[in-house]
Amino acid sequence: MSLLAAIRKRWRSIAPRNSNDIEEEFRSTLQAYQEDLMRQGLAKEEARRKAHLDLGRPSAQNETYRRAIGLRLFDELGGDIRYGIRNLRRNPGFAAVAVLSLAIGIGATTAMFSLIYAVLLHPFPYAGADRITYLFGFDEKRPDAFSFVTLSKAQFDDLSLAGPVESVLGFNPTQMEVTGGAFPEEIASTYLTENAGAFFGVRPLLGRNIEPSDAENGGRSVAVLNYRFWKRYFGGDPHVIGQTLEINHAPYTIIGVMPRSFAFNDLAEVADVYLPFSLISNVPNVNYVPWIKLRPRVTPAAANTVLEPIAREMAKRDPGRLPQNWHLALKPIIWTFQENTGRTLTLLLAGVVLLLIIGCANCSILLLARGRARRHELAIRSAIGASRWRIARQLLVEAVVIACTGALLGVAASYWLAKLPMVLSPDSFPAESFIRINAPILAFCVDLALLSGVLFGLVPALRLSRGDSARMLPGRQDGGVAAPGKRRWSLLIAAQVALTLLLMATAGTAIHSFLGLLRTPLGYDPANVMRLGIILHNHARGENDGNQSREARTAYFEQLREKIASVPGVFTAAVATDATPPYSGAENTFEIDGASDHEQPQARVTLVDQRYFAALHIPVLQGRVWNADENTRGDFIAVVNQAFATRYLSSSNAVGRQLRIPGLIARNRNQVASAQSTTWRQIVGVVGDARNDGLDHPVTPAIYLPYTTLLRAYEQFFVHTQGDPLAYLQSIRAAVASVAPGQTLSNSNFNGTLTLNEAIERDAQYKSQRLFSILFGVFSAMALALALVGIFSLVAYSVAQRTTEFGVRLALGAPRRHVLWVAARIAFVSAVAGIVIGLAVDSFLGAVLAHWMQNTFAATSLMAAAALLALSALLACLLPARHAIIVSPTEALRYE
Amino acid sequence: MAKPVELPQGTLEMLILKAVSLGPLHGYGILLRIQQISGERLEILQGSFYTAIYRLERRGWIKGAWGESENNRRARFYSLTAAGARQLKAETAKWTDMAAVVAAILGKKTGEI
Repeated sequence: MSLLAAIRKRWRSIAPRNSNDIEEEFRSTLQAYQEDLMRQGLAKEEARRKAHLDLGRPSAQNETYRRAIGLRLFDELGGDIRYGIRNLRRNPGFAAVAVLSLAIGIGATTAMFSLIYAVLLHPFPYAGADRITYLFGFDEKRPDAFSFVTLSKAQFDDLSLAGPVESVLGFNPTQMEVTGGAFPEEIASTYLTENAGAFFGVRPLLGRNIEPSDAENGGRSVAVLNYRFWKRYFGGDPHVIGQTLEINHAPYTIIGVMPRSFAFNDLAEVADVYLPFSLISNVPNVNYVPWIKLRPRVTPAAANTVLEPIAREMAKRDPGRLPQNWHLALKPIIWTFQENTGRTLTLLLAGVVLLLIIGCANCSILLLARGRARRHELAIRSAIGASRWRIARQLLVEAVVIACTGALLGVAASYWLAKLPMVLSPDSFPAESFIRINAPILAFCVDLALLSGVLFGLVPALRLSRGDSARMLPGRQDGGVAAPGKRRWSLLIAAQVALTLLLMATAGTAIHSFLGLLRTPLGYDPANVMRLGIILHNHARGENDGNQSREARTAYFEQLREKIASVPGVFTAAVATDATPPYSGAENTFEIDGASDHEQPQARVTLVDQRYFAALHIPVLQGRVWNADENTRGDFIAVVNQAFATRYLSSSNAVGRQLRIPGLIARNRNQVASAQSTTWRQIVGVVGDARNDGLDHPVTPAIYLPYTTLLRAYEQFFVHTQGDPLAYLQSIRAAVASVAPGQTLSNSNFNGTLTLNEAIERDAQYKSQRLFSILFGVFSAMALALALVGIFSLVAYSVAQRTTEFGVRLALGAPRRHVLWVAARIAFVSAVAGIVIGLAVDSFLGAVLAHWMQNTFAATSLMAAAALLALSALLACLLPARHAIIVSPTEALRYE
Repeated sequence: MAKPVELPQGTLEMLILKAVSLGPLHGYGILLRIQQISGERLEILQGSFYTAIYRLERRGWIKGAWGESENNRRARFYSLTAAGARQLKAETAKWTDMAAVVAAILGKKTGEI
């Protein structure tokens, strides 16, 4: 109450007096003066008259007051704004076009800005996020192939003590199961070192984060929930803290729920639950994925000193496994997104800014055109004493009113627009970034609205405020006189058209290369094939599956495969390990019999069964594929692809040659290798090249081996069906459950159900090309629409203005074609000039664009865009110009 | 009647402060008081008069309050605030100084220069 009173008192002390108060005071003064005059002998009426004459009218007094205390500018601006709004309401057609032109530009620009803000400027909710780094390993021969480096416990502990390091978080993502229910449910969990709470500095939504005390007694059985998991599994229950969650048959007490923005982390996939690392820190060979937070203002050179001991130890521990020109580097956690997504967003931002400029140009044209109709009003204003500044200000304020209305619409639209790229290309953005309208974005939008208002309002304001009243006042339209300011129109139209062409050409290039990508030969047939993942059950903490022996696992997978294959409608079912094209296999070094001129030959080792090639329609070019017995044994046999044969076996027949892969050994307790997995294998066949390194990279040499030679705790099944494979999911689930009740299909990122067509759509290049194609397609369609509306309204206005002239021309016998040309000429010539300028700019920018879009700039799409633009510009000119020739001469001349 | 005097820029506000310093007055009262003290020699521009009052009130040098006038009419009475008193003192000192200097210069005879 006291605060409110204080505010009210303060306001009263600074608030201006109201007009009644002013008027009453003035009236009492008038009255006193009038009585004085009457006492001096004047008659009442005369005294009243003189008092008014000397002191002024009471009704005008408030204005005097406001001027005296300096509020006049505000009052006038308020008046201008009100007038601007009234004006818009009076001309709904004009208003709608102008406001929409801007709303598109402002909406798109705001959307792109909020995306950039969310993705690049402020993507992570963590404390000191810009100082957090990943440890990467780079192979200098393949600069775009980098790997995330993991640490041993000793390395991790050493790193925490290094000088440039403020703190290190270690984590380890693992697939686990929620048990205790009717069926186990697969979840993604991540073990976090117990400094997590302090390291992240993110306040939990409920309860607390993992704390150092959770490390006690080999790790407390506690769990922190991810927001989405909490919503999905617990229905957002606010009383979840203290409840027990059974994971892998062990109870965990729920101690906290993280907020929505905390989506740690998309390295494997965003975890559902977070557990203390101490629970697994005693497991042999456990890996720590490090997040290294550097001290503030540590130079990259200083930071790199921490890497040397790690690199030395890695080289010592595992000689031969690392490529020769391999080095470690620390990179900010945003880095993987910055490279490609940053480039994409910059290009898109450029696109929307162009759109905004086109929208502004459109508004300028509309204002100029309408200004000609308003000349009368403006002339009167200036005749009764409005200064040029005053008129220009009023016109500018009206422009800003349009801009702000547009901005309002634009912000509303941007909320959805900003999500579009994330929907179209989800993996290109950090999981943590989500779009919201916040203060910086609103500030950006308001600035943008004011800026664009001034931008498009300035030219018309300066132009229209210059008119001299004497020439403009005569009530009649000056029919035949060529309109002043035509040059500005032409410039605006030309600029607009040139920019539109730029956008269209970019869209054309994007679509062209996307189509090119779609036409790339894959080497396999993705139609009606899907991948299913099976993860073996987890039975206790860190312990895995009851089918430990290699034979038992193989039998289990084979049994599952047979059941799946027996589902009616399934043509083929095959087993493979991490071999989902367009990415498959793992890079390995190998040796080949006889002399090889390659220092350290490398190939993709791809673990599949013999049916894989049939399921994916990969042709066998030479020799044969292994049989069922050889598949079970796993050793002594291999198949290579064409690229391998060409690169490494060019001189001789591939079939019959020998190779061995020394690195083919079990690396953790979930893996089990066949008896002689690293001995020599005979090449029995050569198969065709199927994409294995992404859509945009050539197929790399690949060695196919029976998957049983190195078994994991999971496998993937490739199922070729009659018709849409997803339609068979229910019956396949039932088939799987009939082998082992409770065995479910995996739903994780790398192992979940996915058709091979979807796998193609997940390809980074595919996604970015599609994103460019769709967004630039939309941008250029909008730009085209805006430019056409601009041209259309310009011609329509000028035809309306020159009705008399056309009447005279027709009356004097001008051919209609000629009149049509006269009406459309300026706009069309400007548009053509714009196209020519646009072509020139495009060929100049072509190289730059090609570099940014990572593909070639297609001359054909540029020509097509130019032709389309010219054609539609011609239409936009001729449609309104038609009105010039349907004028009846007598009617037009009646006003003369 | 003596010759009317025109006011230099900005002095009207000083005069209003002076008039109000002698006791609360309503607007017309201020006008009368100034004319009276000046011996009817000041022709106050009616338009600028209220502008000056408004400005003084806004600056907090005078403050207005509604009251009853001598002939029982509602009128707004202005009185000097503490800030106004300080301002009046400063302005008076400045004005006297300036007037003295200007008068001294203008008063010099040919020989004295």
